[in-house]
Order: sequence, then structure tokens, then C-alpha cells
Amino acid sequence: MKYAYYPGCVAKSSAPELYDSTAQVASKLGIELEELVAASCCGTGALNEGDPFLNVLLNARTFAMAEDKGLDILTICSTCQGVFRQTKWLLDNDSALKTKTNEALDRIGMHYEGKLKIKHLLWALIEDYGLSKLQEQVVKPLKGLKIAPFYGCYILRPPESLQFESHEKPTSLEQLITVLGGEVVHYEGETKCCGFPILFVQRGTAFEMAATYINNAQNHNAYFMVTPCPLCHISLDTYQKKSAKHIDTDTNVPVMHLPQMVGLALGIPHEKLGFSKHMVSMVKVLRGL
Amino acid sequence: METHEASFRILRFNPEQNEKSNYQTFRVKIDNRMTVLDALENIKHEQDASLTFRRSCRSGICGSCAMRINGLAKLACKTRARTEAERHGEVLVEPMLNMAPVIRDLVVDMSEFWREISRGTPWLIFDEALKESLNENLVTNEQLTVPAKMADCIMCGCCFSDCVSRVFDKNFNGPASLAKINRFVTDPRDKEGANRIHGLVEIGLWSCTHCYFCWSQCPRDVRPVSAISDLRVLSFKSLDPSQGARHVNALTDSVKNSGMLNEATLYLRTMRLAAIKDIDLMLKMAVKGKAPSPLKRPIPQIEEVRTLFRLTKGAKEK
Repeated sequence: MKYAYYPGCVAKSSAPELYDSTAQVASKLGIELEELVAASCCGTGALNEGDPFLNVLLNARTFAMAEDKGLDILTICSTCQGVFRQTKWLLDNDSALKTKTNEALDRIGMHYEGKLKIKHLLWALIEDYGLSKLQEQVVKPLKGLKIAPFYGCYILRPPESLQFESHEKPTSLEQLITVLGGEVVHYEGETKCCGFPILFVQRGTAFEMAATYINNAQNHNAYFMVTPCPLCHISLDTYQKKSAKHIDTDTNVPVMHLPQMVGLALGIPHEKLGFSKHMVSMVKVLRGL
Repeated sequence: METHEASFRILRFNPEQNEKSNYQTFRVKIDNRMTVLDALENIKHEQDASLTFRRSCRSGICGSCAMRINGLAKLACKTRARTEAERHGEVLVEPMLNMAPVIRDLVVDMSEFWREISRGTPWLIFDEALKESLNENLVTNEQLTVPAKMADCIMCGCCFSDCVSRVFDKNFNGPASLAKINRFVTDPRDKEGANRIHGLVEIGLWSCTHCYFCWSQCPRDVRPVSAISDLRVLSFKSLDPSQGARHVNALTDSVKNSGMLNEATLYLRTMRLAAIKDIDLMLKMAVKGKAPSPLKRPIPQIEEVRTLFRLTKGAKEK
């Protein structure tokens, strides 16, 4: 298994533990990642609101790079995944846009064909690697751990451009948690928005969203939450204490990045998975293993 | 036709008899073709005549039968009962959210929704000058491409019910209202046209989180979140000085400069002095070795990115 690897900006900036843990897990599972080092930011859905065509062009350039290598793209960020899949969906369903895009890409010697697939690590583990094969690699099952999945938005909606699983009743995180030996906790909010997109614009609203869902997970006795999106991780982990204070509550729910959870079950040493970089301490969870 | 029994768990409330709402379960024989509305009619006619819900056209046109089905706002007449029962093991039916109070059972008071629709003045403000110059105010198909889609909205309230931002921010006027406004901003017959943009920040233009529930739950495929993005583009281009536009501007500049998102400058340029609120957090992040650096080395082949900026003329500098 080999992919054109697109870690995204946050994994290379404020979430280095996501970048590092992905490298550890990929190495352990024999997944080859060829990083697209010259790829640009996906635009996070915000660049699109300054200049939609520019956003299409920049992402088409990234796709062209992967196609040139003959590889599919692997992301570890739901937001990158969602923005990429929307751009690809637009290009593949609008021949005029595709032609216009390729005319621009031609100026930098590139071309987007439309052959590549774009997959989040979560999807790649399920579709390409296979959960039964993954289960065979588990050496430290997450037994007895109640785990609250947090999907967030971009890996589920809009369904037209994603088309991986039912956005109404997703099961991918549940399947993954189960094969790793954990116990899934369902709670109100697992498919809702973490608030990150408006964290710097409508801070109070963003805090209320995150704190409400973290509180729900805590009330369901979750040992930790797990998310496929580093932006959700910022809302849920980095800002957890501030958001809890905002709604006059106190929460203490550790939040794992997806590959960190996989890495734990694969027996990768804790220090290599970057838990010390979390704002909400993981110590209690790690001791309980 | 093959039938099987499914469980319908319905949130009931009668203000004359109960202080609180409670769930009541009914068993209904359903076949492949039955909608949730058919099942509710069946319950009303054969099991409990007091069950109360709105319905009219039964064809997904009037928007009356909007309710939450297994946690998501949908039109009962467009939702197949069997699909819901198979996916969730039951059909959970509740009144819409973000609209209070519940009048009875599945009927909500939609005043809040209508108030928010009105706040955006979603009606044609006719340009009298056109009346003098033309007998007919002709609009070409090309001119109406976007407005026609927005005009498909039947104001059922599904997007408003499931809007995550609206739950927490009562100043946000919601997706339906903004979609309606977009329909008139781009309508060549509207006197206000793009001028409508200037008032939008105050009614929540930048409050939408892009959760996409309004897209996934719209029974008419209006995709209000796309309309909101379109309005933001227009607002951004008309030199909107708000925090939301600053966020877009900072991100755009960051990609232009380094090819990547510069979290530090994005944060500082968006938050400005308010960034002081997070000094404690930034220090903790620095101690943990994860504070984002404002200094970003450009990606290899950054010139390609800048060429693409030049081709689209980039986003306007402010």
C-alpha cells in the first residue's frame, strides 16, 4: 500500500503529535507514505470564501501532483479530506470548470485528469488495509476503555461528495474502535460541529458547541474521545478548559487523534505517539491500559 | 406486498394534560413503499386519533410535515419508513429543534423561524426605474441560474431545525434566511441587489460553521451553506471589515506567502487585541513544543502557487 501523503498544515504546525503518530502507525502496518511536500494548503473552506476558483486551482494542482506519481491521496485531516473531495466532485461534474482549471494548470506545466482517489486514513484502514488484518496486528487491545467517537462535519457531510458511509448513522469510527478492542460510547454530539471554523470569529458560540459535546461524552463515562480531524482536536483538547469554563462546567476528557489510538493498540510506545503534547492529560488513560 | 412490523417511538406532548413530553411507542405494519407520514396517518386512524402533526400535500412540495426522524429533520412524506427502521432499528419521531414551544406532539410554533426569515427582507425590492424603461423585466436563464435554485426553498424549516450554530447563537438568522437573501442579491430586478450584503454581518453572516447539516437535510437540495459561502465571497469583495472577513483575508495571504496555512498569523490577524485572552494557552503550547511559529518557510515550487494567484488576480488586498 502506497499513497501520496497529504498531512495538511495543522499536523505540521500545532499538532505535531498527529504527524508523528501517523508515521509510526504507517511504518508498523507497512503503509508507504510519499509526502506531497510541494502541495499547498487545502484552503480549509475559508479560502473558498475569498476566491472560489483560486481554491479549486490550488487543490487541482495538488491532485495533479499525486496523479503524476500514479498514487491516490491519503489525508489525516477531515477538513482537508472534505475540501479535497468537494473540489474533486466539482471538477468531475462540471466539464467547463475542469477545462478552465486545466487551462490554468497548463501555465505551470500540470494537468488534472480525475483518476485519483482521495482517502482519509480512517477510510484507508477500512477499505484498503482491512479491519480484520488490522485486528491481527493488535497486541495491546484497548480492553475496558470506553471510547467516544467524534466524527465532526467534514468526514460526513455533504454526502454527495464524500460517499463513503451513511452520514445519518456513520459506523467507521465504531468499527475501528471495536477491532482495536475498545468499547464504543454513543452520545449526543458525535456527528455535530466542534465549533472550530468560528473559534476565532464567534468564540463564545464555538466554546458552547465544544463544551456541550465534551460534557455529553463525559456524562456517558467516556475515558477519552477520538477524532479524525486535527481542527476538532484543537477545539476539543487545546481549548477544552476554556470552553468548559465558558459554560460553567468542568470537563476532563482526553482527546486522541485517530492514529494515536491505533498506535496504542499496535503496541507502539506511548512516548512515540506524542501524548505529552496534549493539553488534557492522557496519563490516566495510559495507566489504565 | 411484503410487510413487516416496525416500532415508531414518538415524542408526545399535550399541554392540556402533561407538564413534560414523553415517548410513546406504536407498532405499525409497513411495506417497502410506505413513508413515515403514511405510518403516522395509520397510527392516527387506527391507534390514537389524538396524535397531532402537520401535513398537507404528501408530495414534498408544501413542506408542512417537517419533523425530526431518527435525530435529523426531514419531510415525513419524503422519508421511507422501512429505510429508517432498518438503519436505526426503530423510527424515532420528534418535533423540530430550534423552534419553541412545541404546541402539541409534532407541531412546533414556527414563529422563530419566520421572524428570522423576515430579518433578511427576502422579497424583491422592485426597481421602479425598470418600470419606466421596459414593458417586461426580462431575465435571461443565465442570469437566473443561482436564484432559481435558491427559489426552490419551500421554507419547511428542516435546515433551521438542524443548524448547529443556531442552537447556540440566537443572533444567527439561519441558513434558510441567508439562502433566500442570496436569491435576491443576485436577482437583476432587485433594487438593493449587492447592497443587501452590508447588513448581513449583523445578522450572522460569519456565524455559520460549515457543518453542512443544512445541505444534507434540505429536501429540495437548495444547499443553503453554498449560498452562505457565495454571500461571504460578495461581502469579502466589498471590503467587509469584520472578523470573519479578516480570517479569510489572513488565510489567503498566508497561502500566497508560504503555500501553507500560517496558524500564528491567521490567529493574530483575525483576533487582533483579543488574542491577549489566550496568552496563557499559547505559553502552555510553547512549553509542550506545539506553539505554531509565525515564520513559515515557503513550500517548494511556491512560484507555481503564486502563478495561480496571479491568474485569478488573488483575493483583494485590504
